[in-house]
Amino acid sequence: MNSRGFEEIEHTADIAIRVRGRSLAEMFANAAYGMACQMAGHPASTDEAAASKTIERTIELTAYDAETLLVTWLGELLYLSEREGCVFTEFDMVKVTASRLRAIVKGGSAAAHRRHIKAVTFNDLDIVHTDAGYEATIVFDV
Amino acid sequence: MVQKSDFRRVDKYVWELPQDAREDMRVPARLFGDPELFDAAFQDRTVEQLTNTTTLPGIVKYALAMPDFHQGYGFPIGGVAAMRVDTGAISPGGVGYDINCGVRLLGSQIEYEEVGPYLEDLTAALYRACPSGVGGKGRVRVSERELDELVTQGAKWALKRGLARREDLAHTEEQGCLAGADPGKVSARAKERGRPQVGSLGAGNHFLEIDAVEEIYDGKVAQAFGLWEGQVAVQIHCGSRGFGHQVCDDNVKGLQPAVKKYGLQLPDRELVCAPIDSPEGRAYYGAMACAVNYAFVNRQVLASGVREAFEQVLAGKMRDWDLFQVYDVAHNIAKFEEHQVDGHQIKLCVHRKGATRAFGPGYAGLPADYRDVGQPVLVPGSMGTASYVLVGTHKALELTFGSSCHGAGRVMSRSRARKTIWGADLWKEMEGQGIVVRAGSNKGLAEEAPAAYKDVSRVVEVVHGAGIARKVARLRPLAVIKG
Repeated sequence: MNSRGFEEIEHTADIAIRVRGRSLAEMFANAAYGMACQMAGHPASTDEAAASKTIERTIELTAYDAETLLVTWLGELLYLSEREGCVFTEFDMVKVTASRLRAIVKGGSAAAHRRHIKAVTFNDLDIVHTDAGYEATIVFDV
Repeated sequence: MVQKSDFRRVDKYVWELPQDAREDMRVPARLFGDPELFDAAFQDRTVEQLTNTTTLPGIVKYALAMPDFHQGYGFPIGGVAAMRVDTGAISPGGVGYDINCGVRLLGSQIEYEEVGPYLEDLTAALYRACPSGVGGKGRVRVSERELDELVTQGAKWALKRGLARREDLAHTEEQGCLAGADPGKVSARAKERGRPQVGSLGAGNHFLEIDAVEEIYDGKVAQAFGLWEGQVAVQIHCGSRGFGHQVCDDNVKGLQPAVKKYGLQLPDRELVCAPIDSPEGRAYYGAMACAVNYAFVNRQVLASGVREAFEQVLAGKMRDWDLFQVYDVAHNIAKFEEHQVDGHQIKLCVHRKGATRAFGPGYAGLPADYRDVGQPVLVPGSMGTASYVLVGTHKALELTFGSSCHGAGRVMSRSRARKTIWGADLWKEMEGQGIVVRAGSNKGLAEEAPAAYKDVSRVVEVVHGAGIARKVARLRPLAVIKG
């Protein structure tokens, strides 16, 4: 697990990351950053997107439960990335509960290395409460 | 947990997991493979996912894994499951995000030796004519109203727009239009994502390939398909782009409350489903059919781009540069079909996720010129390796709800492929074999390296040996375009 609270784990065909956070908000932010690193395809490209930070958006979501909220949150970032041609790398989690989220996100272009993620799946998705906070494994369809 | 020893070999290429292997199984599971492929099923979560699939409501006979199986999400890739329409469920996770990802094969009257001097120019023209890569915009722009027409009418829409020929439609699964499409069940976001991408290849494992027919195994069937040794052919592999991804995403999320509403017990949330005969089930089917039709049009529009590129480069240089459509098949789809169950012909919802329909001779849904031989089953290999054209069989209808494999099937994760394979080396290696390559990135190329896949010939031997499709022709790549 790296300092940003995520690690890539083996999956035969798609991409999977294990993500942790001391709070639900931190875990959601770490999951978003982990996805950004996969989309940028290379740490340098993630840094390039982070350095430019030309796009800022406010995201407000409600969902059926915490897992659905996590999938909806990452899916929203994928959609905005496709529409704006960018990768989001900074996440100010204003409020996160098990069914509501408000965040301000910033990102920039990492066009040269962008990699396609089709969708965020529910495959075995279970947000686990641990002694240290929260943990989940997320599988992305690529 | 299910063990290797829980399976019993019921035929040379078929392993069966009995229904009592896990408490929640509703039917047995069957896995197709040779001993080595069978062993490989235990290297990832294929078997667990296949076992999970057997728990879905209304499933009949078996949950099946074709020999190109590997771990996916929800269903394994290579998974086939059929549910009773009256008591069964439909699952968006059983179709996947790239709804109607599939393959189209175009044939020509050109000998591969003739095309050699023009191959570089032809590949460059194809690369220009068929947009590819992340977020790539398509060849045609459509209004909101046009998109609704497109997803309702499928390939007929392309015909009206002058982007298809009548015979292309006849040589497309479902004639390029799955009935029951309801654009009213598609979200505004799916439509927004779909509008700019009609006629685009996308990225990932999607590709466009110029091939040569290297070997014919069945002369009579090859002749019916218009294939001959030495012939130039083109394969287009892509799906429903952002439109289909969003339709699946909307429904996997939207159906989560339905699991509680209908009292379903599921071992994986990606297997989320709803009764076929329920408002939620009907809504998903209506939206999925729209995405199926979007993908048929997408490949049709790309095919018109391929024809344009051939004309642009080859007109005046050879006698006949035209391309005819051999067939177009879906790999990710749920469809209503009639099959024999316990001696009765009943209507089922057949989910194929990384599997191809493989109907044998005589089936009414096949084009008149293929009805006596069976449908073409198109099996693209991994990048730079052989692809196969097979033909569907009666035995497939008996054993696999008329289904067969869809490709080679992955064995190595993308991260491991990137770590162990250098994209630039692979590029050079393919060029060393005389294959012209155009790709968006070296990393993308490395992820799709042949070493990351099973040997497609081995997979095809299992399919042929098990009798769920028969070999007709083998293709080898001359040029590869990867998004």
